[in-house]
Amino acid sequence: MMSAAAPVWAHHSFSAEFDSNRPVKLHGTVTDWELVNPHSWIHIDVKNEDGTVTNWMIEGGSPNALLRLGFNKRSLPPGTEIVVEGYRAKDGGNLAVGKNITFPDGKRMLLGGSANEPDADKK
Amino acid sequence: MSHRLFASATAALTAFVMLCAQTPASGQTAPSATKAVKASANTSKAWTPPHTPDGHPDLQGYWTNSTETPLERPKGLGAKEFYTETELADLMKKDQDRVALNKEEGRPTEPGTNADVHYDYTQYGLDRGQAKLSWNRRTSLIVGEKGTLPPMLPEARKRNAAIAAKNRGHELDGPENLSLSTRCIVVAQESVPMLSGGYNNNLQIVQGEGVVAIMHEMNHSVRVVPIDGRPHPPADIRQFKGDSIGHWEGTTLVVDTTNFTGRNPFQGSGDKLHVVERFTRVDADTILYRFTVEDPETWDQPWTAETAWSKVDGPIFEYACHEANYALPHELHGARVAEEEAAKKKADK
Repeated sequence: MMSAAAPVWAHHSFSAEFDSNRPVKLHGTVTDWELVNPHSWIHIDVKNEDGTVTNWMIEGGSPNALLRLGFNKRSLPPGTEIVVEGYRAKDGGNLAVGKNITFPDGKRMLLGGSANEPDADKK
Repeated sequence: MSHRLFASATAALTAFVMLCAQTPASGQTAPSATKAVKASANTSKAWTPPHTPDGHPDLQGYWTNSTETPLERPKGLGAKEFYTETELADLMKKDQDRVALNKEEGRPTEPGTNADVHYDYTQYGLDRGQAKLSWNRRTSLIVGEKGTLPPMLPEARKRNAAIAAKNRGHELDGPENLSLSTRCIVVAQESVPMLSGGYNNNLQIVQGEGVVAIMHEMNHSVRVVPIDGRPHPPADIRQFKGDSIGHWEGTTLVVDTTNFTGRNPFQGSGDKLHVVERFTRVDADTILYRFTVEDPETWDQPWTAETAWSKVDGPIFEYACHEANYALPHELHGARVAEEEAAKKKADK
């Protein structure tokens, strides 16, 4: 009833940057997490079928909000394996928005993931 | 958590009661406000705000204006301006349950919608309910019996349609065509009047002699309001956030803002927008924020809205929007790739 208002969540247009007709599912290893504004970006190495490796950039949420929930740059260390389900950028590059990010065992990455439990006192 | 939220809601209610009792300033709201006072008069008690060294009420500190209350009253509520305390408690509980469920299962979305292909907000910490909310009993921020924006004047509709038509089909021609928020120039939260958005709805107020400064986390900007009797600058000076000057009326800070540019409209306003904001600290944890908007070239009458700000822990984190605004080049590059593909397709035919 009170949440009827549809707020603007991201500061930019999703549909101008990403293509909802090009869903991607990437299994990768974290190489970097840029905790930068206005959006954080997770870099992952993804093994291709031919054995080569491609580095992908995944758009994430605002670092301010994540910091306030108790996350920091150490919450997602390089080497962590993750699965990203999202949508590829319109320019066809190795960029995507991550709708869901999970660990290979199905645990959700930023909420309840055992390896990345935020500081309990800040939750 | 729920206890704390409820305590702040109670404080907010007291705040409304006190405001209604002190300043029936805008005639529009007097009847409903009086009812609210009568309904919960027993919760009101006198509170003396602390003062700054120069003798003014102390508004300083960290605040959030984050709210689930919509600007306009949802259809179906009719002339109901306030929820009862029981209804409010129920709404608060429902919102907490919703966030808890989203954390467990992910945010429910409808396939094919923009929300469905975007982030799972709760996972990214972007659900408004994950941060502290400033609850109040209002059914809409706009006060009065109707609780809606007055009808827009025909000439204003025409003006806004012409602006939209000019950019249609050219949205991604170059950076100048993108919105001010995409370009990190100015976002809604830091504009005047100040309303909350999806996230980072945190503010800091600092007072000095003859000046009040308001820092917005979103988009890391400071609004400096002189309180020294100076007039507004000449009419040819136009700014995205207008020009603000303030004065004290009793315990209320009144800020008058004019000199807007029409390029950062508020609810479809033009450059004749005039906003009067009233800040009253009604208890240790609450500032009552009320504003009246007029624009004779957009609406045929002024309208007023009101919300409560709640105290939050600092500090304000820097939201350096330009730091890594990759979205801007990505969007433009995406559009160029699409153009090339279209041209190639045409040539192949």
